[in-house]
Parts: sequence; structure tokens; C-alpha cells
Amino acid sequence: MKTAKTVSLTPPTSNEDTGEAPDAMGRAVTQRRSEVRLGREVQARIGQQLRAMYEDIVSQGVPQHIADLVRRLGNDDEVS
Amino acid sequence: MKLDPVIRDQVLATVPRLRAFAISLCGNVDRADDLVQETLLRALAHIDSFQPGTNMPAWLFTILRNLFRSEYRKRRREIEDADGRYAETLKSQPEQTGRVEFAEFRAALARLPSDQREALILVGASGFSYEDAATICGCAVGTIKSRVNRARTRLADLLAIDSVDDFGPDHATRAVLAGGRS
Repeated sequence: MKTAKTVSLTPPTSNEDTGEAPDAMGRAVTQRRSEVRLGREVQARIGQQLRAMYEDIVSQGVPQHIADLVRRLGNDDEVS
Repeated sequence: MKLDPVIRDQVLATVPRLRAFAISLCGNVDRADDLVQETLLRALAHIDSFQPGTNMPAWLFTILRNLFRSEYRKRRREIEDADGRYAETLKSQPEQTGRVEFAEFRAALARLPSDQREALILVGASGFSYEDAATICGCAVGTIKSRVNRARTRLADLLAIDSVDDFGPDHATRAVLAGGRS
């Protein structure tokens, strides 16, 4: 949980861009928004790992014995 | 049986994805390759029931899944070897992913209920639409959507991801220190 606020050396400007508002309702909105963003980032990361794991196997291509099997079966030979 | 070369090439082009799916179901490369081989034998024996122009990957995945469900699952050995031979087949770790983190991810994936895992893999890794995944699994589209959602939520829980920072090496280190049960 992130609690520390960054101390800025530049003069404070409008809070609009950060989505922070001084009232309670504003804070609630900010928090919910960051949870949604966290959820999206977590899910993006999970998706990335999932595809990486899958692609690692896909990139191994067709094992020779399977390629041979398909060609043999598709070629009129009597199948043993 | 003389196989149309176009059909044969479609079958061969699907094999790598089919094999990745089989490995994710079996958790064991040797059994997965047996399953793929059996799937292809069955598919080619019934190639007349394939409608040219329809979705070859979805057709083969359906056959493979049915075979797995009817025969292989009875043996109750699935995912037993999720970190053994399976790990050996992974030639390289993706660069952006730490080794420990990757191992953790596979272990978490293996702990999902099988229907959630297969839905997530079909949609999230193999790139099938929800509709195709529903066809492959023989269920409603809404069922697939809810399985995928539950799988994602459960994965995030299992990986104990509280913050984006947890994805970094610190999390991996903590996991090791905690014996993988943080």
C-alpha cells in the first residue's frame, strides 16, 4: 500500500491532472481509480506471462515424429 | 486415404498451438505428445467430417480436449509434473520475466481448477474468441467468460499480487525466502 506522498520542489499547481481532490468523496474516487488501474496492470502482466509460456512451446514447431505421422497418414499408404 | 494437401498443411500449421495446449492440460510433455498424436490419428480418420473453410484449429482443439477429458483425465495424474519435464521443455525464460517469477506463475496456473485453466489458456494464450472457446469446451459463451474471469482473479490471488511493485525481483526474493509460500 502506497502512503507516502511525493514532495515536489516545484510550486503546487492544479490538482486536476492527478485526479486528487481535497474532499472525502474525491479521495474515494481517486482510490477506486488506482485500484482499477492496478487491476488492469496485474491482468496485463498475467496475460503477458501466459502468452510467453505458451509461445515458448509454440516456437518449438512441429516435432519430427508428428510431421512424419501426418504426412504418412495423408499419403495413401496403408496405415499400420 | 488421400489427404488434400491444403487440409494437411492446415493440420500441420495447427500442431504447435495444439501441442502447447496439450502440455498445459497434461503438465507433462511426453503425455502431451501422445495426446497430440492420438488427436491427429482420430482427426485424420474422420477428416470427412471436417467442413473445409471452417475453423481447423477449433476442430482439432475440440477433439484433443474431448480425448483428454475422456481418457487421460481418468488417470488422475494431470499436472503432477508441472515443474519437472514441463520446465525442461521451456528452452528459455522470457527476458522480461524473472526465472523465479516464471516458475511461480506456472505453479499458480497449475493450481487453478482445470476448467478455469483451460478457458484462460484458450482465450488468453491461444487467442481463441470466447465463442470458439465455448465450442471447444462444449459450453455457453457466458460460462467461458466467467471461467476466464475467475481464473484471472484466482491467479492474481495465488500470486499474492497486492501491488505492481510485487512483480519485481523483491517479490521473487521474498517468495524464495518464504519457501515459496508468501
